[in-house]
Amino acid sequence: MPRPERKLITFSIDGREVEAPANMMLVDAAKFGDVEIPVFCYEPKLGAPVGACRMCLVDIEGIPKLQTGCSTPVKDGMVVHTQTRRVKDAQQSVVEFLLINHPLDCPVCDKGGECPLQDVSFGWGGGMTRFVEPKRHFKKPLELSPLIAIDRERCILCYRCVRFSQELSEDYQLVLHERSAATFVGTFDGHPYVAPFSGNILELCPVGALTSMPYRFRARPWDIENAGSVCTLCPAQCNVAFTVRDDRVLRVLARENEEVDDGWLCDKGRFAYQSIHAEERVVAPMVREDGVLREVTWERALEAAKAALGGAQGRIAGLAGGETTNEEGFLLQRLVRDVHGSPHVDSGAGLDRSGLLALGDPGLQATVADLEFAHTVLVLGTEPVDDAPILDLRLRKGVRRNRVKLAVATSRPSSLDPNATLAVRYAPGAEAAFVTALSAAFYGGAVDEPAQAAGADAGAVHELATLLRTSGGDQPGDVVVLYGQRVLAEGEAVTAPLLKLAGALGLSGRPGAGLLGVPTATNGRGLREAGVLPDAGPGLTAVPSAGHGATGIAEATAAGELSVLYLLHTDPLRDEPQRAVWERALEAATHVIAHAGFLTETIREHATVVFPAESYAEKEGTLVHPDGRLQRLRPAIGRPAGVRAAWQVLDELARSAGAEHGVHTVHSATQQLFAAVAFYAGLSVDAIGAKGVRWWEDDARAAAWPQESGLRAAISDLVAKTPLSRTPDYEEAPTPSGLGAADGATNGALRLGTYQSIWAAAEVEASPALKFLHPHQRVELSPADAARLGIEHGEHVTVGSAGATVEAVAHLRNESPAGSAFLQSGIPEDAANVLQGPLVEIRKATPK
Amino acid sequence: MSHGTQEEPAPTGDLTLGQHVGSGEVPRYQGGSRTPGWDDAVDLTKDPAVIPDPATVHVPEELRAEIEAHMAKYPDERSAAIPALMAAQRRHVWCSPEAIEQVACVMRLTPGYLVAVASFYDMLETSPVGRHRVYVCTNISCSLRGADALLERVVEEVGDDPDFNVRSFECLGACDIAPMASVDDVYVGPVELDDVPALIGQVRSGAEVLPEKQILRRKSVDPNAGSTS
Amino acid sequence: MSSAILFKDIDEPGLGTLAVYQRRGGYGDVLRKGLSMPREALVNELVESGLRGRGGAGFSMGKKASFMPKGGMDKYLVCNADESEPGTFKDRELMTKSPHMLIEGMILAAYAAGATKSFIYIRGEYAQQADILDAAVAEAYADGLLGENILGFDFSLELVVHRGAGAYICGEETGLLDSLEGKRGNPRLKPPFPANQGLYQGPTLINNVETLMTIPHILGMGAAKYAEIGVENSTGTKLISVSGHVKRPGNYEIELGMSAREIIYGLCGGIEGDHEVKLWFPGGSSSPVLTSDDLDLGYDFDSLAKAGSMLGSGAIIVVDDQTSVVEVCLKLAKFYRHESCGKCTPCREGTQWTVKMLERMKSGTATPMDLDIMASVQEQITGHCLCVLGDAMAMPVGSMIAKFRPEFEEYIEAARERAERELVASLDAGLVGSAT
Repeated sequence: MPRPERKLITFSIDGREVEAPANMMLVDAAKFGDVEIPVFCYEPKLGAPVGACRMCLVDIEGIPKLQTGCSTPVKDGMVVHTQTRRVKDAQQSVVEFLLINHPLDCPVCDKGGECPLQDVSFGWGGGMTRFVEPKRHFKKPLELSPLIAIDRERCILCYRCVRFSQELSEDYQLVLHERSAATFVGTFDGHPYVAPFSGNILELCPVGALTSMPYRFRARPWDIENAGSVCTLCPAQCNVAFTVRDDRVLRVLARENEEVDDGWLCDKGRFAYQSIHAEERVVAPMVREDGVLREVTWERALEAAKAALGGAQGRIAGLAGGETTNEEGFLLQRLVRDVHGSPHVDSGAGLDRSGLLALGDPGLQATVADLEFAHTVLVLGTEPVDDAPILDLRLRKGVRRNRVKLAVATSRPSSLDPNATLAVRYAPGAEAAFVTALSAAFYGGAVDEPAQAAGADAGAVHELATLLRTSGGDQPGDVVVLYGQRVLAEGEAVTAPLLKLAGALGLSGRPGAGLLGVPTATNGRGLREAGVLPDAGPGLTAVPSAGHGATGIAEATAAGELSVLYLLHTDPLRDEPQRAVWERALEAATHVIAHAGFLTETIREHATVVFPAESYAEKEGTLVHPDGRLQRLRPAIGRPAGVRAAWQVLDELARSAGAEHGVHTVHSATQQLFAAVAFYAGLSVDAIGAKGVRWWEDDARAAAWPQESGLRAAISDLVAKTPLSRTPDYEEAPTPSGLGAADGATNGALRLGTYQSIWAAAEVEASPALKFLHPHQRVELSPADAARLGIEHGEHVTVGSAGATVEAVAHLRNESPAGSAFLQSGIPEDAANVLQGPLVEIRKATPK
Repeated sequence: MSHGTQEEPAPTGDLTLGQHVGSGEVPRYQGGSRTPGWDDAVDLTKDPAVIPDPATVHVPEELRAEIEAHMAKYPDERSAAIPALMAAQRRHVWCSPEAIEQVACVMRLTPGYLVAVASFYDMLETSPVGRHRVYVCTNISCSLRGADALLERVVEEVGDDPDFNVRSFECLGACDIAPMASVDDVYVGPVELDDVPALIGQVRSGAEVLPEKQILRRKSVDPNAGSTS
Repeated sequence: MSSAILFKDIDEPGLGTLAVYQRRGGYGDVLRKGLSMPREALVNELVESGLRGRGGAGFSMGKKASFMPKGGMDKYLVCNADESEPGTFKDRELMTKSPHMLIEGMILAAYAAGATKSFIYIRGEYAQQADILDAAVAEAYADGLLGENILGFDFSLELVVHRGAGAYICGEETGLLDSLEGKRGNPRLKPPFPANQGLYQGPTLINNVETLMTIPHILGMGAAKYAEIGVENSTGTKLISVSGHVKRPGNYEIELGMSAREIIYGLCGGIEGDHEVKLWFPGGSSSPVLTSDDLDLGYDFDSLAKAGSMLGSGAIIVVDDQTSVVEVCLKLAKFYRHESCGKCTPCREGTQWTVKMLERMKSGTATPMDLDIMASVQEQITGHCLCVLGDAMAMPVGSMIAKFRPEFEEYIEAARERAERELVASLDAGLVGSAT
């Protein structure tokens, strides 16, 4: 659906002529005339107004009854009064009604001082009550979940929290019970309200009925200040405001940025701030001596690192994790590549330079907001609620409000399936075959063969193609393909058909349509663009000789070809898909230098030098959002004594090796990065500002995207605006490696699929409030496979392949495709990366 | 008119089935709620109540078939929520958590959604009740004609029989036979106090209740109303 | 006065069956005539008949149908059979005895509105009537009167009988729509009105049982002839439900404009025990009360409105002079408190506050000042709510205070004295406190 256009009209409010956009609700339009109409239930983010609280009654000439300003669209020539006796009486009445059972326990209420009910009572109430009956009293506070306390005395039944649960996150767990004055907010049969976005109701509640357990009684509004920054816990990079008291982060609030997060946060983003002040955080440098990590002075740690790097004679490799900023990544690749002359640096992009250049082409980029206004969105090989949670809300919003058609193509059943016009399944790991089949459906190529190889139903592939092709009526409308990084695992075998698909859909150069890739790493896009790649430097420039990618680094280290690993905010045993080779690599490495906030397994067992890392609330620098938006991280609190910024350490190590780059502040690193990346030309931190800048929206910068000879031509050929009628070469070229769908071929074993839960993160583990959400390994099975294997729901099982095993609890899902089993990755124990796959066997666990 | 329709909150938050049957009142906790929700925290040992997975929830086949038949009648399947809950209630006597989970499983809704619906409507019971429903109308027209005494009499007659669910009810739309009651959906009236033992006895024995006083047999009182043949 | 239209054959044995209904002329020429007219002409007939909605609001039925937009979208007809306004029981008798008349009326209304899917939302308590309707609908389907190409005409209609589960608010048309969509029966904001965005967001015509059942008769006799019955702005006959302290409570079909006295003392045989009328609700418990002074009013929309009340659903509740107005008021307030959906503030809080004040009056802990507060609370509710339920309590309660203030004051004083006497007696008996 195209974005609506707005035109201005003139209306009169309290005797003043005011211009406002036509059909804007009166309460918003009034603000154009500096008139505030009080509201409780009105919250446009929650969808259509409900008119429940009746606080916003106004007098409109020509209408006998007072009208709710929250639900009355402003029209040209409308005459509105908000200051008449009649309106004031109505406002005072509503305030009096709302307060008859409200306990007015403001002195002991967390909301006190930032409470809309206080403000409205003060501003529009009568200042007295005639209610002399006993107020109702209840036990309080009660737990609604481990994160949220509910105080039902204070509730004014504004419907906001239940509307959020039902119409925004669509978890439908938080509901109203009963009716009349006996109505109350609750859940089914005493189940806790636990859902990925539950914390948003804390911000929505206009009274102190819903308060944060972790924030409870920690501060008053006048004790705190809010510091704006960006959450780095996932690639969605939501804008946040840290609530800071005495240099401690006590709370995280959403900082609305329509282009990024729409003003929502997931519970990981909202509550994992606790990890910043966790006891187990590393706050002093450490060096391994006699096999034991010991805290040492910075001088010793730096000496140890310098010695290790200096003695390696270039046999070093650098690996950057998701939370690495652009600046840190830029300095790391310079240290490894320029200072030590090693080409081996990576950030887990999983694709070679030409693939990145093709998919990253500015003409092909879609934005987060496009998800909401496209005709059709194809979610391909990603589970947004786990991979970039806030996008899940955006997709639901698009479907619900703008009738976006949603197509889901994944191997694991998606939480978006119920919202989808069409959901198609393929076998785990068969993305390349699937995309080949889909692309072929557009070009008249063979669909059956690749579809079969992908374990997908050829009919469903055709249906999907038809949906995408006809979303705009006779022709493709605005289509956005939201794809996960795992889709790209087979490189050209998948990028080629994906680009051809983009061509068939006319995505190139089309506003409102395009590709939107969700990287595995928070700053995956920024690190690529900063040159943290084995085969490209800053700005994706070509390098003389390509180094190893992450897995290559592990193999080379295991083989003794590399001796020093420099790990920047990453734990390969957890983050990398192949644990076994990393175990060998870490054993074989002579030195492992790590920047880390927590002693996770790699660090604890293998690091020889540990530099304590800044938390994201302490960091300064820039990130790049998956849709190309440069965003600024700004320090909200000071670093703990003993922690130094990574950019300082990286520069210090470079300087000690004789390279003077003049990096005196993080801003100088930013400037050097912007200077080195052609398509960042002219950007500055000031220009990025509070809300960020999407670099490719500037034509000059977009034109600076590298154009290698032949590459651009290849892309423009592939991404031709008009679909080709011939069957292109790509259809025949790389044979997809999808597994045979026939069950017989697998001899009773199941195909292994993996996914990483939103809660699988070290920061979650270090946050006491989120302890209850730690994911434990479970294997998702179809009821048919479970019956065949004699396994029941909830039973302990052993999942094995090639001698490796993990323990898991069997979890039956009706929607799970037969023949596949899904395990979680990214968890500290029994993670899926222990297993090689692609096939696994499942047995009942032998009782211990 | 001494009886309220929904008043006299129980003195404590701890209400039992016995009190429920004994009083004849809609049971109310302090604060006026019908269910013990206001004062309850959640049970943190439970999992969140998401849409039940058919792989793990057993739904009796007849109930599934009935609910699916209801769902098929509407352009939007969700419209079947009330009929489906009614069907589950007929089977389970009340909308127990188990009953609601079964409906949720078939309709692909969360149990929370359904409990919100169930607790909104007077005829859907969200706490345990007896099998036989005796709704005594105590709204204005009936109480002008002695409904409150009738309710008391019915309550007395039923005693602590756990098979009964005696409730005062809002206007049942039969003021022409006031005071009246709906007994397992059969409208009878005017019910004299002396009719009560027979009425309750008939319910207990499974006989037809007050056959002569059933509304379906009543002729119009309008002198102009016709039966021209 | 032989005014029976809807009640003409009402006690005909077996009228509920298709065979008898057809023998009495049902589903015959009238239906054919209606379905062969252009839609606009049918709507015009309804407009010209002057038929006003029989559910409570009294809006022109024809106009409502004319608001339905043209176009190919799915449109709906909903019959509001959630008859739950206290004192009202006419639709129950109609549905019990003549279900096919409702179906025939719905076919015509659906045709006029361009609706192809229709629903009867019947209150869950009317289980016996719902069973009767289910049987009648099945008969109609089997006979080709519902479903594809009704009577061979190019018009198809589906009809589903949907049972509610006990909530007064579902009689409010938007609350009904939410309930029919499987939600809590909370009323919606208007606009949008159901004719534009109703059931499943589609254009929806909602009418009361009696209104829909009148349509075949209007078509049968012609709109002009129907409009001659009754008085200006109140054409036709109306079923009225009379209850309370009358000798012969029941449903009567009257020509609009008949006086209330004729109804109460003529048709209903006067007051039980030959007492006097203290007050009467002319249009269900939501209508402001009238007194014995108002008995000569014509029973029609305009006369009752002029007297400060309304015809509403046509339910007359008569209260004799032996009954305390405060007790009636409390009963009423408790009903609305129980039935408030809880969505909007003035209704939710105002109803419970009113009950609490009345209970204090009863227990002897109120003063006449509370009467002022109570009256003021009613004003604070009126006109400020999302739907009409708040007003439905505030207006009758307000009217009772206005018209019977001295009785309220006496009641308060008497209750205070009684409470004091009881306190003194219990002190004397040593039951309360201890002498100091």
